[in-house]
Amino acid sequence: MSDRPGPSRMHRRTFLQASAKAAGAAAGAAALGFPAVLRAQVPTFKVGAVHPITGPLAEPGQACRLGAQMAADAINSAGGIKSLNGMKIDLILGDTQTKPDVGRTEAERVINQGAQMLMGSFDSGSTQAMVPVAQQRRVPFLVDIAAADPITANVAKAVKEGQQKTQYVYRNFPTGSSFGKKAVQYFTEVFQEAKVSPKRVVLMYCNDLFGQNNAKGFQAAHAAAKPSWDIVEVIPWPEPPQDLSTEVSRAKAARPDIIAPITRPASAQLLLPEIRKQRLDIMGIVGPGSPGLYEAGQLATLKEDLEYVMSSLPWANFKNPRTQKVAEDYQKRSGGKTFDTNSGYSYDGILLIADILERAKSTDPDAIVEAIHKTNWSGGLMQYAGPVTFNELGDNPNAVTTMIQILGGKPVAVWPREAAVQKFVFPRPKA
Amino acid sequence: MAPGGRGPEVRVPASQGVSRLDAALIAQSLLSGLLFGGVYSLMAVGLTLIFGVMRVVNFAHGDMMVWGMYLAWLLATRAGIDPYVGFVLCAAALFGLGYLIQRALVGRVVDAPHEMQILLMLGVALVLENSALVAFGPDPQRVRSPLRAATVWLGPVFVDVARLVTFVLAMLLTLALYLFLTRTDLGRTMRAAADNLYGARVIGADVGRVYAVAFGIGAACVGAAGALVSPILPFQPAGGLGLSVASFNIVIIGGMGSLPGAFLGGLLVSVAESLGAVFLSPSMKELVSFSLLIVILLFRPAGLFGRAAT
Repeated sequence: MSDRPGPSRMHRRTFLQASAKAAGAAAGAAALGFPAVLRAQVPTFKVGAVHPITGPLAEPGQACRLGAQMAADAINSAGGIKSLNGMKIDLILGDTQTKPDVGRTEAERVINQGAQMLMGSFDSGSTQAMVPVAQQRRVPFLVDIAAADPITANVAKAVKEGQQKTQYVYRNFPTGSSFGKKAVQYFTEVFQEAKVSPKRVVLMYCNDLFGQNNAKGFQAAHAAAKPSWDIVEVIPWPEPPQDLSTEVSRAKAARPDIIAPITRPASAQLLLPEIRKQRLDIMGIVGPGSPGLYEAGQLATLKEDLEYVMSSLPWANFKNPRTQKVAEDYQKRSGGKTFDTNSGYSYDGILLIADILERAKSTDPDAIVEAIHKTNWSGGLMQYAGPVTFNELGDNPNAVTTMIQILGGKPVAVWPREAAVQKFVFPRPKA
Repeated sequence: MAPGGRGPEVRVPASQGVSRLDAALIAQSLLSGLLFGGVYSLMAVGLTLIFGVMRVVNFAHGDMMVWGMYLAWLLATRAGIDPYVGFVLCAAALFGLGYLIQRALVGRVVDAPHEMQILLMLGVALVLENSALVAFGPDPQRVRSPLRAATVWLGPVFVDVARLVTFVLAMLLTLALYLFLTRTDLGRTMRAAADNLYGARVIGADVGRVYAVAFGIGAACVGAAGALVSPILPFQPAGGLGLSVASFNIVIIGGMGSLPGAFLGGLLVSVAESLGAVFLSPSMKELVSFSLLIVILLFRPAGLFGRAAT
């Protein structure tokens, strides 16, 4: 560069001088003129939507982002937040890269860019890392997806013990322990309904914060409910795994009737073909609830290995015509993907934030928290056991899971009866 | 492990003495581990070759492998070429990529301090990972080969045919590489440049070209390894780092720069991980391979086949 001829260098120097002046002028203009411009425009409420857009959980994370964007578009085109003069919702997008430390810095970045609320972040590890930022900066944080119990419970405890003044973290998603309770209940009901009595269940799970918490929740719920079936072997694997053949051999040695897997997308792709290869003689694969067992990409890759697999998941309420319409839209905008757990709960998250703002009539963080406490909202598209409310921990006790099954290559709700759109096939037909 | 398991039906799982079933489980895991080890070996051989010849640690190794997997996937889905045939094309493509990366980038930092080389290779890894994310999207993929569900049962133990084929091909490729290095002029020049750079220059070796070919061959090995495991292992753009770390572990265990070391190290690590999943909790199997690393470094600081630094 430095040995370029004179005119070029002159040119660059003048260019730099000119651009410095221009930048200075712009900054000056911004400092003076910006408030005026702002007043003239429609006011916006900035929500920091942080999800794993890259890294191992990019697939569900991108679904979350699209769901949130579609919900924000829907609210804005319907006139914004009416009690705040039609205020629009503006998303500031963040990417955790599926790394907890990045989740924290992204939360800080979006707040520095003006985010007045946080929403996120799909995986429990990153979400947990965002919690202290929300608490320190006094930015209300609606967890749209993340199941690990301590995310809200730790904050509620700190507030109760007087270490912190206000709880800013709330969750509209089933917790790990409620995943477990519902799964044990659905397992037992499905077995009864099918008039079979499997005895030996092998629990296999990915050993990350989410997997551990959900496995623990499932085991605790099983111990409390004392159903007629037992968990005879528990097999965790490091996530992401490079090989699961020994794990499946070990499961096989326990002579299971049911394999209950808690997976991630990549590990499901290892686990299910391995179960087929090693010819496990089982009644079915029934998951207590995890990603990897229902997404469009997984269905395309795993095909027959996913057929008849059941999983207890937070699921969209397809009996609601509005859900069907959004799902059609979503399919178009995502290139053919199903509106599911991830896109759905993020979509509902933004709708819920709009409801909260509508009632708060203010963008002050404490007014927002006040409104969150008084939430009683039933405008969501997911399957709920009742209106969205928040309990003393900051969780929504009515966020429940649905038993879904892959039938004909498509995930459908099969249990409980009020959510079911099709009858389940269990035990699965022998190959 | 299983709480609430007090009913008369419950049998306490695993590690309660070796029953007949456990013996089958151990035999099975030995076999699975050994067969999977072929891939580990091929991965590590590529890395150790690059390090041995030009003392550059290829932090983009795992990401190159991921590209090998995606190329195999493209060939299988677009052209209907089975990965057990298509791996040759993947290896060729990765050879080209490796050659270019060496000529355009690595060649400039061969004499620079290690931290500069590491920064450069981490940069290359980031570019490879994120270009894969742009090109193929974030969903995990897997190549569907007709062999993917084929198994041969020997009593209670089964042989996964896909793994067996992968193992045999990986062995043959490693053998071919060994013959190339010991029997051909270019291979001998490569070893000369690795042994004594100054001497190699004195006798007129085109060291730049030798380096580029070595980097290309290293990349081709890992590209072939990627293609060969693409029906067994699911892959996604973010998977490179884990594969790089696994390769480093094997290469350090075997001895940096040693070909037989990388080869045996791969088998050793794979079998150790597989047995670790039987005797310990499976989530601790990585603990086994990294503990193995520490133990070997304690007693043989240069690795199993490494030569002490001079």
